[in-house]
Order: sequence, then C-alpha cells, then structure tokens
Amino acid sequence: MTATAGGVAANPLRKGLAANRIADPCNVIFFGATGDLMKRMLLPAMWNLRLEDMLPSNYGIVGFSRSDDDDEKFRDEMRKAVDEFSRSGPAKEPLWSDFAKHLSYVSGTFDDTNCFHKLRAQLEKNDKELGTGGNRLFYLSTPPSLFAPIVDQLDKGGLGPRDNQTGWTRIIVEKPFGTDLDSARALQAEVSKVFDEKQIYRIDHYLGKEPVQDIMALRFANVIFEPLWNRRYVDSVQITAAETVGVEQRGGYYDNAGALRDMIQNHVMNLLALVAMEPPVAADADSIRDEKFKVLRAIRPIDRARVTLESARGQYDAGSIAGKPVPGYREEPNVRPDSNTETFAAVKLLIDNWRWAGVPFYLRSGKRLAHKTSEIAITFRSIPHRLFGDAGDALDNNVLVMKIQPEEGISLRFNAKVPGPKMHIRAVSMDFNYGTGFGVVSAPAYERLIGDAMRGDATLFTRWDAVETAWQIVMPILDKWQNTIDESFSNYSAGGQGPPSSDRLLAMDGREWRKI
Amino acid sequence: MSLESSTVGTSLDAIRAELSRGKLATSTFNFIVWIDDPARRDWIRERAGMLSEKHPSFTLIFDNTGVREGDATVTTGARDPHATVTVRGERVEIDVSGLDAATIARYVTGLCAAGVETILWWSGFKEASRATFYALLPLIGTLIVDSSGGLADDSALRALADFHAEHMEVTLRDLAWMRLTPWRDMIANFFDDERLLGELFTIRALHIASGSDSEALYLGGWLASRLDWTATGRDAFTDRAGKTIAFNRRREGEIRRVQSICLDSETSWYHGEVTEDPGVVSVWVEGEHAREPRLFPLMAIDNASLLERAVLESGAVELFETALTTAATLLG
Repeated sequence: MTATAGGVAANPLRKGLAANRIADPCNVIFFGATGDLMKRMLLPAMWNLRLEDMLPSNYGIVGFSRSDDDDEKFRDEMRKAVDEFSRSGPAKEPLWSDFAKHLSYVSGTFDDTNCFHKLRAQLEKNDKELGTGGNRLFYLSTPPSLFAPIVDQLDKGGLGPRDNQTGWTRIIVEKPFGTDLDSARALQAEVSKVFDEKQIYRIDHYLGKEPVQDIMALRFANVIFEPLWNRRYVDSVQITAAETVGVEQRGGYYDNAGALRDMIQNHVMNLLALVAMEPPVAADADSIRDEKFKVLRAIRPIDRARVTLESARGQYDAGSIAGKPVPGYREEPNVRPDSNTETFAAVKLLIDNWRWAGVPFYLRSGKRLAHKTSEIAITFRSIPHRLFGDAGDALDNNVLVMKIQPEEGISLRFNAKVPGPKMHIRAVSMDFNYGTGFGVVSAPAYERLIGDAMRGDATLFTRWDAVETAWQIVMPILDKWQNTIDESFSNYSAGGQGPPSSDRLLAMDGREWRKI
Repeated sequence: MSLESSTVGTSLDAIRAELSRGKLATSTFNFIVWIDDPARRDWIRERAGMLSEKHPSFTLIFDNTGVREGDATVTTGARDPHATVTVRGERVEIDVSGLDAATIARYVTGLCAAGVETILWWSGFKEASRATFYALLPLIGTLIVDSSGGLADDSALRALADFHAEHMEVTLRDLAWMRLTPWRDMIANFFDDERLLGELFTIRALHIASGSDSEALYLGGWLASRLDWTATGRDAFTDRAGKTIAFNRRREGEIRRVQSICLDSETSWYHGEVTEDPGVVSVWVEGEHAREPRLFPLMAIDNASLLERAVLESGAVELFETALTTAATLLG
C-alpha cells in the first residue's frame, strides 16, 4: 500500500478523488521537538493531518532535542500536547496508538556530529521498518541562532541532500530568517552550502491562512476589481496587522526583535506583495513568487534621512484590554526596564512601477491595540465631479476591505441615495462574510504548510530573493531605530490605536488610518 | 450580526413585503427545501438553516408536515436602515399543507432571486407529494436527494435511477453517494502502488456489508464503472475478459453506513472494516500482497457539510452518474 506517483496517476479508481492527499512516504524530523511551538502547533498539526488522512501510508515523525527523553516519554508528551492543543480535541484510540508507533525521539545536542549520526541511524531504521523511502523533511523549530549549526551538522552527519541517494531531502526554516540583512545573508550562505533553493521552505505561517490565499482569488477570479487595481483609481492602501495580546512569554525574544522584524518584514510585506503584484502567468509556486519578488523589488528604498518622516514607532504603556488592566511593555517578563524596542511599527512605502506609481502603501502592526484585526483596505480616489447630494452630504471614497482575521470576508463601502424626496447621499457598507459555523473547517496554517512541504509545493513559502529584498526595504528604518533612543516611549496606551506619530505619518499626506 | 425573524401570513405579497424590509439582499443561489416527514422535520430544518446562515443565499423551506399553522416565517439580516450590514442568507419557511402544486410553484417563481442557480433539496417520501415535485422540477437546476435517508432497502435508489434515466437534464446529487468518498478513497489507496495496479483486473469477488442498500450498490456500481465490469444480474459482474465477479452484499450495521468491504483478487484479499470506533476503519491485505492492518480515519463529514458540498459542486458529476447507472443495472 505504498503510494507511488505512477501508481496514483494510473489508478482508475483515483478519478474524482483528491489527489492532494498523496504525499510521498517520508520522515518528518522536528528539531526543537520538546519546545512550545512543537507542542502547541506542530505535533497537533501532524496529528490532524493524520486524522484528515493527509499523511502518506508510510511516514515517520522524529523528534530531536536536547532533553534526555526516550521514545516512550516523547510519545507521552506528544499525547498530552494533542490532548491540550489539537483543534480536533483529545486524541482517541485506536488511532492514537497507531499514530504513536510512527513517533520516535533522538536526544542530542545541536553541535555534536555523533548525535546526528544517531539521527541518521533512526531515519534509516524508519526507512526499513516504516517504509519511508529515504525521503526526509527537516523542520527547524529552534531558536534562530541554531539554524546554521543544525544545517552544518546535517551535512557533517551525512543527512544533507547530497548524501541521500534514495529519496528527497527538504528543510523547513521557521521565521525569522535572520535578524537583519547581514545575518539573513549569512544564514542563507550557510543553508545554501547544503540545500538548493528548491529544497528550502521558509515558513511564514501567515501565508497558510485561508484569507491570505483568498486575496489572489479576489483579484484574479473576478473581472470587476482588476481594472480598478492601479494608480488611476486607487488613492492609497492600508495594511494592518493589529493584536490585542502583549508579548506574553516571548519577552526575551521579542525585546531583541520588535514589531518591524517580527511582523512588518515578513507577514505584512507578504500581504503587500500579494495585493500589489502583477497577475502571475500560472498558479505554480515560481510564477507566483516571481511576481511577488518583482513588486518587492519595485518598492522605493527609504532614504535614511527620511526615516522619521516615513515611519513611526511606538511602545505600549499600561492600559486596559476588554476592560481588564494590562501592564506596560517595560513591565512584561524578560523585557528590559529601559527597553527601546518598538511594539508598534508603521511604514509608508511607495512602489515605483507602472501600476502603482504615486500610490502610498501604509503598513502598520502592533501589540496591545484596541482590537485584534488584520485587514487590507484599498481606498479608491474621490469622484472627479460632484453631481449629487446636498452640500452637507459627505461623499466618502469607495473602500474595499479584505478582512483576514478574526473575521474573514470582504467589505465594500459605496455611496447611495437615502430614501426620500431629497437627494441625500450617504455611505453604506456592504459586508460579505462567509460564516464558519459548520462544515469543513479550514486547516490551520501549520497543517496546510507542512502538508504542502511534504508534497513539495513551495507556493506558500517565501523564496530567498523575497526575504532578502524585504530586509533591504526595512534596513534603513531598523538601523535608525536601533541607533536612536525614542524618548517618547512608552507612547501609546494598551488598548488604544497606536502612537500619535503613527497618526502624523498619514496626516502629513492628508489621510488618516482606519480605526482599529 | 444576528438575523431577524418575523411571522407573517402565507400570501406572496405579505412575504415579499417582509423580505423587502431587509436592508440588503445578496444571493449566491436559491435553495428550496421540501419536508413532508414530521419525524425528520427538525433535522432537515436545522441543516437547511445552517447552510442558509453560512452562505449568502435565498432559502425557501416548504413545510408540508402540518406542524406549522398556516403561516410563514421570514428571516433576513438587519432591517435598521442605519445598521452596518453583514449579508447572510435570507430564509422563508412556509406552511404549505393543503396547498396545491401550482400554488407552491408560484412561491418559487415569485420569491426566488433571478440570475442565480436554484437548487431543490427533496426530502419527500409521500406519494401525495409527487405532483409538487414535478411542478417544481422545471424551476430548478440541481436536485439533491438522499437515497438512504430514511430507508434501508433499495427502493429510493431504484426510483432515483428511474428518474435520472428520464430527466438527464436535471443535475443530480445524492447524499448517499457523497458519504462514500472516504470509502472510495480507501479502496483506491489499496492500488496506488503501481505494482498492485494489475490486481484490479483480477478481482473475482466483491463483498460489501452496509446498513442500507444504496451504499453497497453505489460502491459496486462505482467499481464496475471504473473497471469496465458489466452487471450480469443482481449479484454478479463480468470483467473485460469475460470472467465472473461475484457481488455479495448484506445488510449489517447502521443505516447510511458501510460496515465492511472485501475485494478478492486471484492472489490476495483486500479488506476494510469499521473498528470498535465507528469513525475508524482498519484496512489490511491477506495473501500474496499481504499488508499489516492500517487504521484509516473515516472523516466525520456531517450532513450539513455534505449538503454544502452538494450545493457548491457545479455541473453534472460523470463519476456519480455512471455509478448510478451501473447500480441501476444491478437492480434490473
């Protein structure tokens, strides 16, 4: 019952059945297997892929970490993780026992080649006993500082693609890919010594979210939007990724990162690319990623002298979220009391190409804001001549909003006549939401992305050229912010709309942010 | 955004007036539901309501159970002209007991949105509903039924096959067929290894145990249509080489559920059987190509989701139609 590509294609019973279920037999190896991400997201994702029958018949899941665990203890820990965090609820028998047979654990340090020899022995054992066919997908869910050492040890331990004569080898690298342009390039140099670009899957879990994929459907499956999708009709674009949560247990990491690195350089930049890119020639990974890269490359570099005019940063103070008091950023665990790290970042970008010349793209992301919301708002230009409405009527610009979370949907604002004898005009907003109350729940991002990587579909992963370009775009801001203390910090209250400097960023252009 | 409901008389004008109070209406399809079985009324209404609330659509529920009392309920989105509107489905439920078929059809022409597909979920089983069914037929594009919805025998499937033969222009969906997708996937999975493809053409017997007949007949019909088998009676096929394939089916387990399946090839036995957990199937192979048992999760696809898939799938599904046609030949 080992699926083969030729067998699947030739099997007459396959007609009309989902072919995307079929991934090659493989081992998925998680580095950092006892960490929080593994327990909350990754192992539950693997379990749900099993429940959805999206795993191949022959698979192995190998955890690798420093903890001195063994297979049984690892399985127990993973069962607890599934019971607590899986969207499908606690694990049930007999499926869990069947799944657990595919779990194994290798204890080792990330800089000891002998440990990687042990890992190789385990994978070869799985190939024999589980029929995993020599195919290997490595997942780096460790702190970023360990990415390069692990890749190096994979090579030394004979686990790199060049040493694999029987199957494929791929690697998923968690974000952040570098902490700045230089470190990203250094990491890329190390990773590319061992893996080809086509074998590297840089994960940005935002791209696995259903509504993000809907952006392309909206743009390229409709005829009515694309003709308006350019500088002639679009006044400006706002992309918002707002959270109500603070840094929680991630203070140590976040205080060295900040909103620009954590959100703008990757998630928000990816949204910008999807909104602004040209139609790809095909829906395959490289056609889409080519277009995303082209639009990122067309973003006008920010002059270092203009950073303060074209960006804004903030740090939250104590305040309240949903009526509950929350501490200020500098009072959070593992955050320096004099921290200069931004928890809010806003940037104005211009795209120097035929389609978008002169249209500002305003990007913002922050923690402890009034509401959790991610959206892309396209504001269209004003009408050229006012024909209708009393002088007192406000004729609002049309706005198309793509809502990404927590609600998924589309909202369109347009002007309409108020019923009655007079010609009063007022703006109405039509929201189109698909309910999600029942039915096939879309798989969380990690399920989608791990499944894609197992099948070799890189469409939703970020290519190096895009990562590098995104770093190039934010570096002038990052340099400036790292080298100057913002004396205004903390400059916005938790539960608010962000710092006043963010409002000024748009006010200088005669615009204002949509309310969060 | 909560929906607002109000009860009005059953006249077309009263319903239209109530609908027009809704601020915005967006319909991606019209969804007509016929209920004449009091025992299944709430079950059907609940699922139709779930679909209506998820998809911007116009849902028209004809209640012929006699439980309602000569009125209609109109459910729309916001009616306050100043409200921000989230467009969700509009729904009208009408007591049609005692109304003739022509009157019922006029509700469809008078209320349904123009320019979008009209889908009928027919859950009727009373002979008296027959005239209404045929009055609605010219007004719809897609018909959804459940041939194992309430009956364990093959009568509903037989009627469906006859209907399909006479009305090829109607796009047909059968929830009983759609429930079988995980089973078809499991069976296909046996032969995804190209070394085993040849086994498909040496199958000599097919054994299926199911709670109602539709499932066994559909699976038999599907295999036959995919493998070029010809039905030679109620319990046998012949393959392309003229060899006989015995078809043994027995009724076992819950209605609408498959209990087990076994394909006997010349060298091996390919088994799938529901475990103690009804959501899990154990699959294994005995004989020359023996494989250890593997557990297959039967994806829990609830009826509302099946209904949604039936509605969203567009056009005729050749695979289903050939399976139905082949199943019909088994029925004689």
